[in-house]
Amino acid sequence: MLHKLLEWLPPALRSVLERLPPQIADRLEEIRIREGRPLEIGYAGLSVFVRPDGACSENYRDAYVPDREQCRTLLERITRHSLYAAEEELRRGYVTIPGGHRIGLAGQVVLEDGRVKRLRDVAAFNVRVARAQQGCSSQVLPSLLDVAGRTIRHTLIVSPPQQGKTTLLRDLVRAIGAGDWRHPSAAGWRGRKVGVVDERSEIAACERGVPTFDVGPRCDVLDACPKAEGIMMLIRSMSPEVIAVDEIGRAEDARAIREALHAGVRVIATAHASDLADVFARPVLAQLAREGVFGAYVLLSREGGRTAHRVFTREQALAAAARQPDGRPFAARDAPRASRTRSPSGGGSGP
Amino acid sequence: MIRWLGAALVLFAGTMIGFIQAARYAERPRQIRHLIHALQRLETEIGFGSTPLPEALARIAQALPAPLSELFADAAGQLEEGRGETVQVCWERAVTERWPATAMRQGEREAMLRLGASLGGSGKEDQQKHIRLAMAHLQAEEAAAREDQQRYEKLSRSLGVLGAALVVILMV
Repeated sequence: MLHKLLEWLPPALRSVLERLPPQIADRLEEIRIREGRPLEIGYAGLSVFVRPDGACSENYRDAYVPDREQCRTLLERITRHSLYAAEEELRRGYVTIPGGHRIGLAGQVVLEDGRVKRLRDVAAFNVRVARAQQGCSSQVLPSLLDVAGRTIRHTLIVSPPQQGKTTLLRDLVRAIGAGDWRHPSAAGWRGRKVGVVDERSEIAACERGVPTFDVGPRCDVLDACPKAEGIMMLIRSMSPEVIAVDEIGRAEDARAIREALHAGVRVIATAHASDLADVFARPVLAQLAREGVFGAYVLLSREGGRTAHRVFTREQALAAAARQPDGRPFAARDAPRASRTRSPSGGGSGP
Repeated sequence: MIRWLGAALVLFAGTMIGFIQAARYAERPRQIRHLIHALQRLETEIGFGSTPLPEALARIAQALPAPLSELFADAAGQLEEGRGETVQVCWERAVTERWPATAMRQGEREAMLRLGASLGGSGKEDQQKHIRLAMAHLQAEEAAAREDQQRYEKLSRSLGVLGAALVVILMV
């Protein structure tokens, strides 16, 4: 799989990364390519520099340095030789390539009427390796079930970047669609129809509309669609029972989620936040949380390359917020003992 | 007897050379027209469809007649193959390799090569500007080619026949 990703890189860069020791290559999370600066990679929560012979070290002085030509070629390749077709991506600052790998971009910004129009002279790339972790949701899903409603609760998955939100969301979608509930009281439940609004093409990594990740048998994906509009489109057209979206946080997202709620659809969403206090500090999320929209909160954190999940219920989260109105942190460690779980799987793609 | 056979052959060859030359004069404006249509289509694909360049070129190749379609198909194929080469390199190679098979001349070729240097490398409006510039250039060439056609098509045909006749007369 890594081999396929490396094919996107210019030959010289590829041959350096192909020489990485296998124990690092297998756990590769990020490749950071900066024009005229040392090549850096991230694996298992560490980041190191890569020498031309593929050896890794903390020392950046003898690291491999990608040049301007390589950066230009890379940009051309990931935009499929068509900068004009990637204007939206260049405005948002990332491109997703087949396989669901997101490549973050930085460089000179072009403004129009004070708003970012697009990126020019891209000089830094952050390639984030996407990995499907089948079964990574098996520890979490049982605690998200709404036994009375024979479905799942509205769930918000929360963590800082790079902790495996998208990976978990993807596997939840797969498990829910496949009816892989892993809970005695859910025995005999069928899978649910799942609609995914995949604004960044990271959850399902669609190619021409067809998911390339295993997202289960009952999954409809709106690829590259803005979340708020996508949620409404799915409700109108695809009769989903569960809707999954990545990285909510804008006012229109919240409106669409409320709409979904009243349409009888369950929502699983992810958001950037380091802990529950952050959720209650972000205006849009806080309002949703205080309204009691989410029935469960999943907090992710990584310790030594492993992802730990902790689940809060709505009551626990609201109680914690009431107890500490602006106090910090009521983070993962404040979660009730009983619902602490720990997944055996490692981390995966980013948020 | 052999002398007459030789004369007939010379006459036939001369006539053919004249006709082929005339056909090139007739073919050139037509191919330039096709090229202009192709660029119009490219402009639409880029401007409205936001189609990625390899796909756009492949689609255009399908809609074009023979020698030109291969040029576009070549360029598209090389881009899809993705050996880490830039658009400019792939485009130049396709144009250089396929140009001898067409009836077109240096002027059109330069317009195409200049277009290749900017293709894919900028935003929509900029791309459209470059394509329109190339189209304007080609239109000028087309007008010149039509003039050439009117002037030289019949001329080269008769020149072939008459030249051959002259050789025959000198021979006999």
